[in-house]
Amino acid sequence: MSNMIRKAGPFEIVNHWALAISFFALVLSGFGFLFHLEQMNALFGSFSRMRFIHNWAGVIFMVSLFLTMFTYLPVSLRLGSDDIGWILKAGGYLSKKAVVPPQDIINTGQKLYYLVFLLTGSAISASGLGIWFIAGVKKWVLISHLVHNISFDLLVTIIPLHIYLGTLANPGTFRIMVYGTVPLEWARKRHEKWVRRMGY
Amino acid sequence: MTRKALLISPEICIGCRGCQTACKEWNQLDGVKTSNAGSFENPPDLIPALYNRIRYVEVPTEAEGQRWLFVSQRCMHCGDAGCMKICPAPGALYKTPEGAVAFSKEKCIGCKLCVTACPFDVPRYDKDGKISKCHLCSDRISQGLPPACAKVCPTGAIRYGERDDLIASAKKTGHEKVYGEMDLTGLGALYAFKDAPRLYGMNENPAIPESVIFWNNILKPLSYLGLGGAVALALIHYVAFGPKKNEEVTRDE
Repeated sequence: MSNMIRKAGPFEIVNHWALAISFFALVLSGFGFLFHLEQMNALFGSFSRMRFIHNWAGVIFMVSLFLTMFTYLPVSLRLGSDDIGWILKAGGYLSKKAVVPPQDIINTGQKLYYLVFLLTGSAISASGLGIWFIAGVKKWVLISHLVHNISFDLLVTIIPLHIYLGTLANPGTFRIMVYGTVPLEWARKRHEKWVRRMGY
Repeated sequence: MTRKALLISPEICIGCRGCQTACKEWNQLDGVKTSNAGSFENPPDLIPALYNRIRYVEVPTEAEGQRWLFVSQRCMHCGDAGCMKICPAPGALYKTPEGAVAFSKEKCIGCKLCVTACPFDVPRYDKDGKISKCHLCSDRISQGLPPACAKVCPTGAIRYGERDDLIASAKKTGHEKVYGEMDLTGLGALYAFKDAPRLYGMNENPAIPESVIFWNNILKPLSYLGLGGAVALALIHYVAFGPKKNEEVTRDE
C-alpha cells in the first residue's frame, strides 16, 4: 500500500518481541518464586528448571533492554514544550475533545514510559545478577533482593498499562509490532513531527 | 503436637565433641581434613559436612588464668525462621510437627537466599549446591527418638524434650533468662547461659534482616496490588473513556 509509512524496522520488531517474551517468562516464574505457586510446575517442569529459565530469560531481557537504547533513548531524552503540553492534556486520554501538541516518533507518554522502564529494567537486571553471582554475600545480596523486588513491583504495574495503551486503547498500534508499518494518516494524527521530518 | 526443643547448658559441657561425631554418624556426613588453628576447636566453623559443633570460647579471668566456655552451635530452629521466609522453592525448607526446620535437597534450587536471611549464619551448601544444615534429626524425632547429639551427650549439656518443660527446668536451676525463649517467636535451641550471651559469642537480639521483613510484609502483597491495579485502571479507562479511535483524533492545527 502506498499510503503506509514504516515506523519500526525488523531489528526493532524482533528486539521488542525478545523483550516481551523474556519478560513474560520472568514475571510468571517471578510470581511463582514469590508466592510458591506450584502450578508453575506445569509450565516450567520444576522449581530448579524454573530458576534456570528465570536466570537465562533474564540475560535475554538484559541484552534486549540494552539494545532498545539505540532505538528509543535519544528521542526519549529530547523533551520540550510540546511534551509539557501533552502532559497538561493528559495525552488526550481523558477527553475525546482534547487536542494534543504534535508528537515525535514516540509521544511524551511513551518517552517517559521508556525512561522509567529503562531505569527499572536496569535495576532489576543488575540486582538479578547480584542475587545470581554473589549468592551468599549477605549484605549485597540483601540489597539486591530488595532492589529486585521493588523494581518487580514497578514493572508489573507499568507493563500492563503499556500493553493496554499499545493494543486496546489505541486501535492500529499493535500492527507496528507485527508489520512495522502504519497508515500515513494514522501517523500524521499521532506522530506529526516525525511524519513531517520524514518529508510527508 | 507440642513443640520440642534442645536445651543447651554450656556450663556442664566438657567439650568432648561426642555430639559432633554422633551427628556425623547418624547423618552420614563425610570426615573432613582440617588443620591445627591453635585451639581445641575443630573444625573452626560449620561446614556442609558438619551440622553442629562445639565452639571453644576462651575468656581471660583474674583468678585462674582463663575460663573455657563450650557452646554448641547449630541451626536454632527458629519459630519465625528467616530462611523459610525468603526461600523461593516450596518445600525446600519446612517445619516438622515437632517444630524443627528441616530441608529437602531435592526441592532446594540452590539460590542461597536462606544464607542471607538467617540471623545465626547457619545454612551451608554442599558440593552439589544444595542446602546442608542441622534438621534436629527430623528422621529420629519423628519416631520419638532424641536427636543424635542429645542422645550421645554424656553430661546432659544437650537435652531434648518438650520445649515448655525444658524452659521450666532451666528456670528451676536458677537461669532466670533462657536464651531463645522469646526471640523469633521462640527458638528450638534454648541456651541456659550463666553470663551475658555475648560472652558465649551469641547475638543478644537475633532478628531477621529488616529488608526481608519489609519485603515479606509490603513488597510481596504490593506486586499483586500493582498488577491488579494496573489491569483495573485499564479496564476502567476502556469503559469510561473508550479507545482512541483514529477517526476521533484531532490534529493541532
